[in-house]
Amino acid sequence: MMADTGSEEVAVIGNTDLTPGEIENNMKNTMGEKGTLLFRKMEINVAEAEKRTVKNAVNMQETYTVYLIETRPADAASEGTNPAPDSLWRRYSEFEILRNFLLVTYPHLVVPPLPEKRAEFVWHKLSADNMDPDFVERRRVGLENFLLRVASHPILSTDHVFFTFLTEEDGWKEMVFETGFQAKADSRLKALNATFRVKNPDKRFAEMKHYSDELQSVISQLLRVRARVADRLYGVYKVHGNYGRVFSEWSAIEKEMGDGLQSAGHHMDAYAASVDDILEEEEHYADQLKEYLFYTEALRAVCRKHELMQFELEMAAQDLSTKKQQQEELATGTVRTFSLKGMTSKLFGQETPEQREAKMKALEGQIQEDEDALKDKNTECDDFVRGAWLDIERFKDQKNHDLKEALISYAIMQISMCKKGIQVWTNAKECFNKM
Amino acid sequence: MSASTPKTLPTSGPKSILDICHPLSAEESVRTPSPDVGNTTGSIGEKDLSLPNGTPVDTSSPASSSSLLNRLQLDDDLDGETRDLFVTVDDPKKHVSTMETYITYRVSTKTTRVEFDLPEYSLRRRYQDFDWLRLKLEETQPTHLIPPLPEKFVMKGVVDRFSEEFVEVRRKALDKFLKRVADHPVLSFNEHFNVFLSAKDLNAYKKQGLALLTKMGESVKYVTGGYKLRGRPLEFAAMGDYLDVFTQKLGTIDRIAQRIIKEQTEYLVELREYGPVYSSWAGFEGSLQEPLEGVSGCVANCAGALEELTEDMSDDFLPVLKEYVLYIESMKTVLKKRDQVQAEYEGKLEAVAFRKEERTATPTDVEKCQDRAECFNADLKADWDRWQNNKRQDFRQLLTGTADKNIQYYEKCLAAWESIIPLLQDRQENTKTETS
Repeated sequence: MMADTGSEEVAVIGNTDLTPGEIENNMKNTMGEKGTLLFRKMEINVAEAEKRTVKNAVNMQETYTVYLIETRPADAASEGTNPAPDSLWRRYSEFEILRNFLLVTYPHLVVPPLPEKRAEFVWHKLSADNMDPDFVERRRVGLENFLLRVASHPILSTDHVFFTFLTEEDGWKEMVFETGFQAKADSRLKALNATFRVKNPDKRFAEMKHYSDELQSVISQLLRVRARVADRLYGVYKVHGNYGRVFSEWSAIEKEMGDGLQSAGHHMDAYAASVDDILEEEEHYADQLKEYLFYTEALRAVCRKHELMQFELEMAAQDLSTKKQQQEELATGTVRTFSLKGMTSKLFGQETPEQREAKMKALEGQIQEDEDALKDKNTECDDFVRGAWLDIERFKDQKNHDLKEALISYAIMQISMCKKGIQVWTNAKECFNKM
Repeated sequence: MSASTPKTLPTSGPKSILDICHPLSAEESVRTPSPDVGNTTGSIGEKDLSLPNGTPVDTSSPASSSSLLNRLQLDDDLDGETRDLFVTVDDPKKHVSTMETYITYRVSTKTTRVEFDLPEYSLRRRYQDFDWLRLKLEETQPTHLIPPLPEKFVMKGVVDRFSEEFVEVRRKALDKFLKRVADHPVLSFNEHFNVFLSAKDLNAYKKQGLALLTKMGESVKYVTGGYKLRGRPLEFAAMGDYLDVFTQKLGTIDRIAQRIIKEQTEYLVELREYGPVYSSWAGFEGSLQEPLEGVSGCVANCAGALEELTEDMSDDFLPVLKEYVLYIESMKTVLKKRDQVQAEYEGKLEAVAFRKEERTATPTDVEKCQDRAECFNADLKADWDRWQNNKRQDFRQLLTGTADKNIQYYEKCLAAWESIIPLLQDRQENTKTETS
């Protein structure tokens, strides 16, 4: 639906229409200009995770996990030389800093999300503990995925801060903070949460925001129910394990039936045990969904940013038109707009022509400034829209592709589970037949 | 004594050609202990699954054809003799009168035995009648193991006595009961059994024997109270021990099966919520719409298959376990009676030997007791062996049937998921050529 409706009504201020052909062209140009994607030039791995314990500022023990990032020129492997990769250690909070920097620096782009900070949507057997090795492992994969996403983004991959994140362990943090992004990050957060009303909202962005809300809601629901389904499935399989023991005990009092019962019991044990692997595999599917759940936040942020820009544009234009009106009034001597100055001058006497002259000159100056500023803002908005929409289209294609792949691999998982089930029960049946 | 002289044992032998049903005719439960005639109503409850794209799922599979073989498999203990008595219970019908509402079942008999006036009978009987029959058998054949009936009492609020499911489960159990009796070399010649199968007005016949009926079913001729058993012969002690352990294990298996049903039911509830989420997602997607709807349909199919599996477990598995528990209870009673008969014999023997004044016993008394004891032991031994054999077959069928149902369940799910793979992958190739 999103892709099909395209753009119809555009906002009064600033938006230009891009045809699909132009969008395609722009994309190609972008890639050409910025050179080949970092993704192609460099192999990136988050190879390991390690626990570190340090004494923090208040002299208390603090344990955290660090991840080893390995990089290597992509053509090294093909040349057959296979040099050792460059590597450095980063902790999760540093990834967060990187991402916040990117969000602030590229507000028009859909910035890839990080894997979740805390385990959510867990089914009961899975640990919600951040230190749990399975969680750490899945996070390692998620972080690697994040880096690969950024490295394969036509614009983000060229960012210098990102590059140094991968290549320079020491001093990176200081360098990032020196850019002053932190202040921007704070105001960005405030702005995203502020309430304001745009007079002429852009339909495309409004629809996109609505879509991201719906997608967020449905994926959350899906993950919740899936976790419950996993729980139940676990229960069904595990209870079958009890057959193993009772068949064994029963076989002890039987003569001819004994062997068949006993071996069938073993198959029931195997059946019960098989669910652990099945559900572990399914976690991968859940992680794929989660990535897109978190992506919706980034998508929504772009739409909100656009809304904010448009609001500011509207305010600025409003301001300008008010000032122009004041100018007119001063020129013609009629007071149409109420102003305190006007009232006081009425009460306390007219101002002198010199005073009026000065006022008009000041106003003229302000209007000129404001007009320039508005022009800049308009250009900024245009650029934003162009860039954002390009990236949104790119994101949409990526999303459709990835989710389809995820569904395929989910179906394959289910097929594998069914085949295993058939195998076990067929084996058990053979044993029963021998009873 | 109504135990007639046993003829040369007619056992479950090869069916006569006319009576072997075509394998593709209405299927019956896999629980019957012997090849039976006239398949009962009701077919495999396989719903017609259709896949998201509309093609019906093909559920004929190696598993289904082997369950076919199960049905055709003849008994292990063929001994070349043809059976001459075939009984079937089917066609349940509801009767509503001013006084009560109840179900009757059609009892059909085909026989060449001279003890029956006609070669064929078809009558209607209700549970009460079966209950009466069993009581009479217990009374008149106390040395034999009488097969169990399905439970008499059902909690009125909890179970619907007139639901199709309940009636069908009961019908199968009643059918099995009669078949087991018909198969028995001694019980099948019992006159009450004969009347049950042939009399138009059973109630009139019942009234005749009313005066002699006692609550506990202890025959007047078997007053054996008051004697203490000295020592139980090993083989009967072993029987008792076996039954004790076996009952325990059956109880455990019953609990496990019920737990599985409960877990599966809860799993089903979640699945029924899970599938529709994909559908609602599809509702606001563009190119993802078909794949998502496909997955939703798959989950729905799997849920349907699971529902069938759980129903089958409830309907076919649990009742058999319950039946055997009841069977074992009545067997233990028979074992106790045997003990009492033996005790009486030993007691009287002792009295005569030592001329004790407390017990009046004559040498003829003692002889009678000895006969009685020996007959009892012989009957019981024969029945025990027969019971062990039938039990083995019953459980083999029960468990292979359960395995089959699980295999079928997974096969249905497999078919559903395999069918959407091409659906998902096609679209993948298409999007590469589309611009958006």
